[in-house]
Amino acid sequence: MKIESTFKVKKGLAEMLKGGVIMDVVNAEQAVIAEKSGAVAVMALERIPADIRADGGVARMSSVGVIQEVMDAVSIPVMAKARIGHFVEAQILESIGIDFIDESEVLTPADDVNHINKNNFKSPFVCGATGLGEASRRIAEGAAMIRTKGEAGTGNVIEAVKHMRTITNEINEVLTCDTNQLVALSKKFRAPLNVLEMIKELGKLPVVNFAAGGIATPADAALMMQLGCDGVFVGSGIFKSGDPAERAEAIVVATTNYNDPKVLADVSKDLGEPMVGINIDTLTEEEKLAKRGW
Amino acid sequence: MKVGILSLQGSFFDHQKSLDLISLESLLVKTPEDLDKVDGIILPGGESTAMSKISSYNNLYKKLDIKIKQGLPTLSTCAGTIILAKSVIDGDTHIPNIDIEIQRNAYGRQNESFEADVKFLNNNDIYCFIRAPKIIRTLNNDVKVIATQIDDIVGVSQNNIVSLTYHPELTNDNYYLEWLLAFMKEGKYVGSF
Repeated sequence: MKIESTFKVKKGLAEMLKGGVIMDVVNAEQAVIAEKSGAVAVMALERIPADIRADGGVARMSSVGVIQEVMDAVSIPVMAKARIGHFVEAQILESIGIDFIDESEVLTPADDVNHINKNNFKSPFVCGATGLGEASRRIAEGAAMIRTKGEAGTGNVIEAVKHMRTITNEINEVLTCDTNQLVALSKKFRAPLNVLEMIKELGKLPVVNFAAGGIATPADAALMMQLGCDGVFVGSGIFKSGDPAERAEAIVVATTNYNDPKVLADVSKDLGEPMVGINIDTLTEEEKLAKRGW
Repeated sequence: MKVGILSLQGSFFDHQKSLDLISLESLLVKTPEDLDKVDGIILPGGESTAMSKISSYNNLYKKLDIKIKQGLPTLSTCAGTIILAKSVIDGDTHIPNIDIEIQRNAYGRQNESFEADVKFLNNNDIYCFIRAPKIIRTLNNDVKVIATQIDDIVGVSQNNIVSLTYHPELTNDNYYLEWLLAFMKEGKYVGSF
């Protein structure tokens, strides 16, 4: 008896990534640098979020060639992004054997109402969330992993911090309420009741929750870990910086030793230039990627 | 007694939960100094390449290797088993301490990850295999096969070490927990308890 791709197995892969760093890469060469620097997984992309933001236009799933090149180059899990609601892009990614699908607001949404029904897939999904309601809706749709929805490609961690604090506060509200209040909370957060019941029983989200969006330094990674994230995605922050391999390694060590300021100081030394950041205030509402997703 | 869990990356909190369930004190091990405070160690699942890279920051593996060779009771699961294997097909060895040849991601990618019935000692239960490695063969007679999944070897023991390729910490069934308690208390592999 052998059953493939049960929810336990999908969620299990996310559990194995805990305490680790997942890095955006655009080719095999970057993927190898990421793996050697201690990444637990890589996100294969044609363009990193900072460039998607700069280029404008419609951002779609990356070319299958680029993704397969990365899959062939490394032995760690490879993730790739599908547009929100674009279940055919997800089918294509699944068919080439991708290890994780990110239904991502970094790409232009394909559906203005629905997300992908992730329970229909063998491949596990990770989805962004700005609060508990959004996280719970994604979990109900079958997401095996949640991440914050910090503003990708800005090198500015403020939005990821806001999302993580919001989720933590809202989870605390669920944990401290009495069961008579659960339906009202479900309405307030627009969160499926059964997911809130799971949270109340477990004392936390039923799936792993990573930080993503705007993380550019070892200190940013450690900040998100101290705020309670299970691990970290770093997008543009590594390969838009002066010395990617060294920065990647520093962020990896910082994510493990997030509670040890001496280690954080040591790995932050002589890192070279971080990516140039963008102040969130200078973005128009349309430019904010976190607004995408429903 | 206090059981350490190698906590560089991976499912270390899940193993901590297992130890909580059998009321064994635990310590998340991140530095060589931490290893002086524990009477047993668990190497969790995760990514073996990432864990080894992180360990190089403070030379943790060097001390861990010495402790294991001195007889520290050691349990490894999945990536932890790759770290302890003497021979890794198409891959690097890390702290080779158990005489097996292992293949990483031997069943395929994540879409081929599965749950299956495992015979562990006298018990059968369903466990997760996540991008799991496969123990291709044992390298000598000092290694005892203790868990099988149909014809595949999925668990072995040698002296003070027990190495599994699956994830009992994601299931925490009573049989496993009782065995884990006996193993850590005894300080070496126990076949009946």
